[in-house]
Amino acid sequence: MTDLAIVTEKLTRRFGALTAVDNVDLRVTAGQFFGFLGPNGAGKSTTIKMLTGLLAPTSGRMQLLGLDFSSHTMEVKRQIGVVPEGMGLFERLTGAEYLRFVGRMYGLDHPTTLRRTEELLEFMQLADRPKSMIADYSHGMQKKLALAAAVIHGPRILFLDEPFEGVDALAAGALKALLGRMTARGVTIFLTSHVLEIVERLCSHVGIIHQGRLVAQGSIDELRAGIAGEQGSKTTLEQIFLSIVGQSGAERAQIEELSWLT
Amino acid sequence: MADVAQPVGILQQMWLIAGLRWRMLHNNLRRKQNRLDLLGLIIVGLLAGAFVTVLCLALFEGARNFVTSGRPAWLSLFFWGIFLWWQLFPIIVAGFGVSFDFRGLLRFPLSFGAFYMLGLAYGLGDFTGLAAFCWTISIIAGAAAANLALLPAMLLVAVLFVLFNIALERLLGSWMERLLARRRSRELFFAGFILVMVSLQLLGPLLNRYGNSAEPWLARALPYTAYFPASLAGKSVGAASAGNYGEFALAAAGIACYAVFFGALLWLRFTAQYRGEELSETLAPEKAGRNKARRESDADALGLLSPQVAAVIRKEIRYLLRNGFAALLLLLPPILVFALITQATLFRFSGAKGGFSSELFFPGLVAYIILILMAPAYNSFAYESAGVQTYFTAPLQFRNVFLGKNFVQVALVATELTLCIAAFCYRVGMPSAPIFAATLAAIVFTLIGQLSLANWSSLSFPRKLVFGQVHGQRQSGMAVLVAFGAQILFFGISSLVLGLGRWTGDRWLPTKAFVLLAAAAVAGYVASLDALTSYAEKNKEKLIEALCR
Repeated sequence: MTDLAIVTEKLTRRFGALTAVDNVDLRVTAGQFFGFLGPNGAGKSTTIKMLTGLLAPTSGRMQLLGLDFSSHTMEVKRQIGVVPEGMGLFERLTGAEYLRFVGRMYGLDHPTTLRRTEELLEFMQLADRPKSMIADYSHGMQKKLALAAAVIHGPRILFLDEPFEGVDALAAGALKALLGRMTARGVTIFLTSHVLEIVERLCSHVGIIHQGRLVAQGSIDELRAGIAGEQGSKTTLEQIFLSIVGQSGAERAQIEELSWLT
Repeated sequence: MADVAQPVGILQQMWLIAGLRWRMLHNNLRRKQNRLDLLGLIIVGLLAGAFVTVLCLALFEGARNFVTSGRPAWLSLFFWGIFLWWQLFPIIVAGFGVSFDFRGLLRFPLSFGAFYMLGLAYGLGDFTGLAAFCWTISIIAGAAAANLALLPAMLLVAVLFVLFNIALERLLGSWMERLLARRRSRELFFAGFILVMVSLQLLGPLLNRYGNSAEPWLARALPYTAYFPASLAGKSVGAASAGNYGEFALAAAGIACYAVFFGALLWLRFTAQYRGEELSETLAPEKAGRNKARRESDADALGLLSPQVAAVIRKEIRYLLRNGFAALLLLLPPILVFALITQATLFRFSGAKGGFSSELFFPGLVAYIILILMAPAYNSFAYESAGVQTYFTAPLQFRNVFLGKNFVQVALVATELTLCIAAFCYRVGMPSAPIFAATLAAIVFTLIGQLSLANWSSLSFPRKLVFGQVHGQRQSGMAVLVAFGAQILFFGISSLVLGLGRWTGDRWLPTKAFVLLAAAAVAGYVASLDALTSYAEKNKEKLIEALCR
């Protein structure tokens, strides 16, 4: 049980009559690079928000690193890093000021915070605009800064909500290399992305959520094996995803009805 | 080619937009937070409505009186008042008024005619325009009540006058928007604006000193005002009343010329907007010489505090210094106090008959400063935006966030109060020891007492404000009401205690009472921190949603 980094049991979140996350049982092993997939509105961000303390579950349990989230909230938060939806930046600080702020928020001492801030800014290629406020950063720079802030305290689990959205190919390559090194050192990474190619390249395991329900979970090979037919090992993650979540006949009929567009 | 059946007419487009506004309001009210906000707005609206109604009655009676007493040209005074209100009030409240950015509608196939008409219609759709319109109607009604034959002339003049005002107000608003789209020009504008407002405070002392010598100059300048629309409006009514229709037509044509002129300028401005004028801020390139960041010292200046409280304090101070408008507002209280003291010292102090009592003036001054400086604390997360999520993902108790924020707030108020008290003592002299001590204790009571309520209000009625943005921002209606109620409560209690001291003749009674109240406020504040931490956890979704939207 101790090698499980993330465990949820019947995790549920309702917004009025809408059940955004419905009895989700997740199992993510420590050191895994876990991709959490689903169509728009499937419940990915809601799940990540619950796992990081931004949203309270309606029911169910969450255990992170063997600790119950509700009873060991502070201890769990100390060991996780988050790039939330919308990045959660204080836009009127400079990049360095923001990283120092976050470092101190996580209880790092002053000299360590300063040292790590400089190193992270250099690594993320953000050190050349020290006086620019975050509001003046490009979207990609903001993403890199948000990631730097998420790792400044050396978390054991990293939650990333669409981390590569808006990041250029060069920076994305550096980030992927960094994340790869982190998992090699035993850090668990839980990421959501719409870009299935990225997930396929980076993640060893995936979970697929659809209409609030976890419909598949396992290594990519295990999911491939679950696809019947002759395709076998050639099946891409996109094909797996579409075969699990894919459009129903009714949805196809609706699309065909838009004949005036074609 | 898109298979659109037929072009959409102006009226139909305006109807669609009215429907859109209604749907937006209706959908907003599905949320409890927005319903509460609307409730607050309704209460504030009722107060504003009472103000407008009282002035309507006064203008009606005034207009009736001017016409019956044979002085219809004096209606110019009313038209001048309405003109100044219509053109200046929107600028004064630019930072607080809400507006719907109708330029966003340009993504639809909106004709320029519809766009222009909508722009004008919005000029009548806000509080300033509606109030001015009601007052104009009151003047017409008052004049017509005195002399029904004047009604057609009054109606024509009023229509022209309203059109002129709408066109000018929209034109000024549009230019302001363009000017204030850039951060630097916005800050310069506010610096100028605050200086003008402060200068107005010095008008009294200046008039006292130089009033007599300025009179001839004013007398020479006054006749030229006759060519302005407000004077022309009064003049035309006077001419109509005297049966001089030539002069009436000339004056009315003058107002029409103004309306056409400003309408044409507005046409040009709206043409630029219709073509897709870009108003966003442009990023200034960093200067090479300034490219090195100041290296942070390894020693932590706030090392005695918890790291999290220290981090919040640093962030708050940086945010304050980078919000030009908020920083400039901090300069306002000492300058206003200086102006007030200057005005007040013209009168005789010390309890002499007919003069001001410094014993009352001193606590009043302190109350005034607290009133101004505490208002933002009731929506203290306004500028956090998406950053507020950090407070919930980081391993910290929310009490630390409040401690950091409140520390900065108290330090700020304490600094301003110290400056103002020093200025008072220098110009007027120290108040008596009992009043001085009572005021100091009352400061602790009102400041700390308000902080607990302000923290609760910030969590309960959060409203995102965009940093440095001027137009289209509004505080939460409920937060305004809570602030208003809390300040009435605390200043009411304080006045009662001071009054009690005077009534009983025990000069030290207020001090003793305020010390007890201050102790209770501090105890209440400390006790509230844990309760607010739990409340923040319960309310986090609402807070995050309101600020990240």
